[in-house]
Amino acid sequence: MSHLLDRLKFLVRDKEGFADGHGIKLRDDRQWEDAYRHRWRYDKIVRTTHGVNCTGGCSWNVHVKNGLVVFEMQAHDYPETRPDLPNHEPRGCQRGASFSWYLYSPHRIKYPMVRGRLLELYRAEKAQGKDPVEAWRAIQEDPRKRSSYVAVRGLGGFVRSSWDEVNEIIAAANIYTILQYGPDRIAGFSVIPAMSMISYASGARYLSLIGGVPLSFYDWYCDLPPSSPQVWGEQTDVPESADWFNSTYIIVAGTNIPATRTPDAHFYSEVRYKGTKVIAMAPDYAEYVKFADEWLPVRAGTDAAFFLAMGHVVLQEFYIQKEVPYFMDYARRFTDLPMQVMLRALPDGRHASDRFLRASDFTDQLGQDSNPDWKTVIFDELSHNYRCPNGSIGFRWDEAEGNWNLLQEDASSHTPIVAELSALGKPDAELVTMVFPHYGKRGEDTPILMERKVCARRLQTTQGESLVCSVFDLLLAQYGVRRPSVEIVQEDDRVADYTDPDHCFTPAWQETITGISPDVCVRIAREFAQNAVATQGRSMVIVGAGTNHWYHNDMNYRSIINLVHLCGCVGQSGGGWAHYVGQEALRPQAGWLSLAFASDWHPHARQAAGTSYWYLHTDQWRYERVHPEQLLQPAAKASYRGRTLADYNVVAERMGWLPAAPHFDRNPLEILADLEREGHSTNAEATEAVVTALQSGELRFASEDIDHPNNWPRNLFVWRNNLIGTNAKGHEYFLKHLLGAENAVLGQDDAGSASQEIRWRERAPIGKLDLMVDINFRLNSTGAYSDIILPTATWYEKNDLNTTDMHPFIHPLGAAVDPGWESRSDWQIFRHIAQQFSQLAQKHLGTRKDLLALALLHDSPDELGQAIGVDDWKKNGSRPVPGRNCPRLEIVTRDYPQIYQQYCSIGPRLQSSGNGAKGEHWEAGQEIEELLHINGAFPNESNEGARRPSLSADIHACDMVLHLSPETNGEVAHKAWCSLEKKTGLKLAQLAADRRGEKFHFHDLQVQPRKVISSPTWSGLMSEEVSYSAGYINVHNAVPYRTLTGRGQFYLDHEWFLDFGEGLCTYRPPLPTLAVHGLPERFDTTNGLVLRFLTPHDKWGIHSTYHDDLRMLHLSRGGPHIWISERDAESLGIADNDWLEGINENGALMARAVVSQRIPEGVAIMYHQQENTINVPGSPSTGKRGGINNSATRVIVKPTHMVGGYAQLAWTLNYYGPVGSQRDSEILIRKVSDAQIHWLEAPLSARDEANLRQAVEDSQ
Amino acid sequence: MIWSWNYFFFGVYPFIAGTTFLVGSAIRYEREQYGWSSFSSQILASKRYMMWASNLWHVGILTLFLGHFTGFLTNILEWLGADPVEHQWIAASAGITAGVLAMIGGLMLLLRRLLDPKVRYASRFMDIFILVWLLITLSFGLGTQFVSVPDAVSGHVQNMQILIQYVRSIATFQPDPALIRTIPIIYKIHMFCGMTVFLLFPFSRLVHIWTVPLNYAIRPYQLVRAKIRSVI
Repeated sequence: MSHLLDRLKFLVRDKEGFADGHGIKLRDDRQWEDAYRHRWRYDKIVRTTHGVNCTGGCSWNVHVKNGLVVFEMQAHDYPETRPDLPNHEPRGCQRGASFSWYLYSPHRIKYPMVRGRLLELYRAEKAQGKDPVEAWRAIQEDPRKRSSYVAVRGLGGFVRSSWDEVNEIIAAANIYTILQYGPDRIAGFSVIPAMSMISYASGARYLSLIGGVPLSFYDWYCDLPPSSPQVWGEQTDVPESADWFNSTYIIVAGTNIPATRTPDAHFYSEVRYKGTKVIAMAPDYAEYVKFADEWLPVRAGTDAAFFLAMGHVVLQEFYIQKEVPYFMDYARRFTDLPMQVMLRALPDGRHASDRFLRASDFTDQLGQDSNPDWKTVIFDELSHNYRCPNGSIGFRWDEAEGNWNLLQEDASSHTPIVAELSALGKPDAELVTMVFPHYGKRGEDTPILMERKVCARRLQTTQGESLVCSVFDLLLAQYGVRRPSVEIVQEDDRVADYTDPDHCFTPAWQETITGISPDVCVRIAREFAQNAVATQGRSMVIVGAGTNHWYHNDMNYRSIINLVHLCGCVGQSGGGWAHYVGQEALRPQAGWLSLAFASDWHPHARQAAGTSYWYLHTDQWRYERVHPEQLLQPAAKASYRGRTLADYNVVAERMGWLPAAPHFDRNPLEILADLEREGHSTNAEATEAVVTALQSGELRFASEDIDHPNNWPRNLFVWRNNLIGTNAKGHEYFLKHLLGAENAVLGQDDAGSASQEIRWRERAPIGKLDLMVDINFRLNSTGAYSDIILPTATWYEKNDLNTTDMHPFIHPLGAAVDPGWESRSDWQIFRHIAQQFSQLAQKHLGTRKDLLALALLHDSPDELGQAIGVDDWKKNGSRPVPGRNCPRLEIVTRDYPQIYQQYCSIGPRLQSSGNGAKGEHWEAGQEIEELLHINGAFPNESNEGARRPSLSADIHACDMVLHLSPETNGEVAHKAWCSLEKKTGLKLAQLAADRRGEKFHFHDLQVQPRKVISSPTWSGLMSEEVSYSAGYINVHNAVPYRTLTGRGQFYLDHEWFLDFGEGLCTYRPPLPTLAVHGLPERFDTTNGLVLRFLTPHDKWGIHSTYHDDLRMLHLSRGGPHIWISERDAESLGIADNDWLEGINENGALMARAVVSQRIPEGVAIMYHQQENTINVPGSPSTGKRGGINNSATRVIVKPTHMVGGYAQLAWTLNYYGPVGSQRDSEILIRKVSDAQIHWLEAPLSARDEANLRQAVEDSQ
Repeated sequence: MIWSWNYFFFGVYPFIAGTTFLVGSAIRYEREQYGWSSFSSQILASKRYMMWASNLWHVGILTLFLGHFTGFLTNILEWLGADPVEHQWIAASAGITAGVLAMIGGLMLLLRRLLDPKVRYASRFMDIFILVWLLITLSFGLGTQFVSVPDAVSGHVQNMQILIQYVRSIATFQPDPALIRTIPIIYKIHMFCGMTVFLLFPFSRLVHIWTVPLNYAIRPYQLVRAKIRSVI
């Protein structure tokens, strides 16, 4: 009744003691407990999940009370999978369980916010009567005005605005940029679409319609394993986590399953109850090590050496000493091991391996008239002759379809063949001395050539006599495997056995690199392979960021992929290579692609490679001190010798291997307008004129003068991610060059002057962007450095779709409550920007023609670019051929005032041209008709007559994706399989026949997640019999891999791969980084320790998300921290929780020390991405606030990733391309005493501001 | 009785302050259970500094409270055989000692509250005001010693005797403000300030005094709470 009166009970005896007076029973008032009870009451439950950077894809029930989200609980109603599998559910982790905190947290963006100075300028211009575009122009063209807001980015100063006003500013900025520089100067960065695909699609669709550039992200994160497209032509295709349960031997290397795959980790422990052996490889005693039977504490970054030595043992014992039939058969059918390779004679008489033998090398072209350059050759044991088997990439794009399959037959005669693996001992074979590059020799910094004997045959080709041998024979030689009757030539003539440490890749050799005993290596190799023999390939290697974030990540991974291929594990349930970092599976891809990139309106869309884009535009290339000369192998042809890493990128762009953004040094609209004025009226004429201008040098690629103000990116949209606070590898370079903000770049930018392809400008650009827009629900670093922040709906406030490769279900993000405050869903945000854009475009733009220069895309006929050699038109002075050795040039007509109509309705192209994905194609008219009924028509103002299905709401967009994709519409699945049947000549439609009648709609998914339907856009099956496993239909249904040979490739024969010594997998040690040595002299590098800087994924956050969540801050250290070993801490005088500073030429960061025996010496582990927004003081060295972990990193690009137009080595967004590796870095760690800690709470001084502004103005 | 300022401040005001103190505390306890707190800012400041500041303050102020209570409302000292002069000597020496401790601690707390940006930001108006008010009261309390000590030296301690009578007249609801018409003004100011502390009490963080968990020291280890019907 009353709190006070109820306590006044002096006359009532309401206390009973018990337990001899140690306890007492009270009859206190307990009303206070109701507060806690009411906290957990709710009136509604809505299913949703967590949207972006987590690939967990867990189904959650969000509980709502009085219109407020009160809490979330794990849903546990997934459809049943199979009786012999543990349940998938409940899925979730501590991070997801705490998400609801964000909705009402102090970080929430509640209103559209604009940098106050910019808003004042804009309002002042408008008050003078200027229209929005003119107002924006007036600000941009006055350096004083521009610098006033550009130079203070990151220093606060936001004010509230209204949606109408911000949309107007954004639209005006976009239009000004299109007019002044071209639409390809407008970029957008958003990530991992599978996790909220409609939100991703919103901005991508808007950009694609106006001609802007969505940037790739998967490669930029370095989560993309280039090895996967290199070997299989597949971005990343991995088993679902349930498939771990089907394995009987698992090695985990560099992925912290319980910490970062928390909802899936139960399979990892459950499988051990079946007797599966689990090996964990990690330099530190990581969480996943605790689950393992055995821990292999390798030195950081040296995993490949161990796996290569395992391969050595497997080859020796399972291929040579005894020929295991399962392995031999698998190798013949599903790998390129029997493919024949030509040998190149070196001046000294030795040989080096060259390209694959092709049908075109034979005078009769082995009966192949179509694409003979793209058809590889085997030696047939039955006919004792060279034959051209089915399945290579040439067959994929032949007019006559039906031979693109892995049936063991000759493609011309359709007679059976048996591909020969080794020519050893065959009468016509001879032993040849070959050289292989070797980077792992003890005590050697530079690569050497090692000699090996290989058996080869002589063959008369169209170019004369050549030696040819199989990849298998090359591989055995490369791995240093002893073979009867072949002597291995070594400098000291010793014969290698397992105990020979000088001979790669023996188990004793790997010990010198990894520190693991050879006995352990041999034992584990035998176990792994023997298990595969006994189970037909149920041996698995699970890998992740710890292995993939290194510069030579593809070597690390290919050493593993080689092993699982040799053991016949790929494509087998419970076996193979399983890569889990940043990977995703956007299951309903076919429907989504057309939504996101507006292919319902335009056949082509601009896209760019994130790594190249940021490497060039944040001017990291200017600081590059890794030179390709260090990386080339001694026997390289190296026709680009002397070029810098950035030069390779420019070369790749002009040959169409990589997309160029911006394309050219001129506005693409203006190029066409000028040509039209000059009388080139048709598109074909205009394209020809562009080619001529390119050849003459009159028109140049933008990257050839990347620092020219015309070629800067001008507008940037960032949504669904934290570009600046999380993924800005080379954070300080972003701040300095892209944003013009205060920064802590410490190194010198003179290295770029060595470039031969890029014009060197002494004065580096500062502050390239005119406008950065962040769309976010929380204020993080990206918002802090933006000019406009738009409040978006959280994952509990919008309708969207979510899939993952960790499980086979598709489920929704559902709007449990309306978007808080003035926030809007991403779909609505871009819709309204489009509306404002269309209105302003009527006056300023009208209809324009836009010139697109497109990369030669994988899974399109363009992937047949240059088959043999590198034909660089610029180097040869020849005329470029678009689509072959030059970007595909396309002209798109943009009706700018109609952008809003186009955004909000499904365009006509799907009906007229059909739909497809990954090279498959089918008609989609029926589905579009049905969508008109499902979504209704969007009101058409232009009286065009056609009724188009509406996309005005996010649910409409969801239903478009669901209805057009084979994975979510059984009828479309049937059509897709039929398309693949036609191409392969195989019978496949039965694989999804049992689900032909199913169609999912958004509201179905809200009731229960659905298991997707098997589709040919994926290489595994969603069947009732097997878990999803990559490569399954390739191995079980003879569908080729989308590679040059159509098989999994051990050998990559492109000239650049051979030049860099990576034709076959070899061991490449971590790069010797010079980051600490690059510090200016005023820094005392003797004070402190240089440690290898590892930045793995954290337990208390997913990238930067959740790191600022109060609940996670409480559970973790509550601010940035770095783990170091006890010994290193002792020598630095650091105790646990002391402040420390990490510094190198890239910048400086501040963190607290976690001192642990778990960490090996010489390593500093900073779990990423702990932003510097919470509890970060100033760095004593720089005087600026300590940065994030990426303040100490910078990306280094790798030329082999730039190869394009070459079957599987062809660029596609997030598929293949340079990756932003940053792990090969070192950092100087030192203690900072509490007395040196300053929180820098004073405002910016006038002098500092003047300096910042001056820098921006000077570089204009 | 003729109305006078003296009558108001020392005949009426004590009851206004006392009533506000009791009724106000009760109402706040009823209505603002979640606001019943000391609003400690200890977490925001240096541990060492707070160790000194907070302990000096609390030891000093509690001693003063206890001293005032014993001296004015009980006859303990008399029972122990102290005559009025000795009483005053004891009161003055204990009061000065505790007062100086509290003054040092209080000033440290005030400095920190005003100068440490984090603590300042976390402070509400009343947090600063009550601390300043307590320090003013304390200053005048120490100021009275400029009268009390000479009184004790000279052996004429009637001021204190009058004050004791007066305080007891208030405590027994027979206010006799006329008693203190002649005592030095410094006592009056100190008393006014002190009574105002009671007036402010329910509106400030001082309410934590009501619920100091003293029983924690003597209660049984294990508490179980009965299920009561009124609880849902």
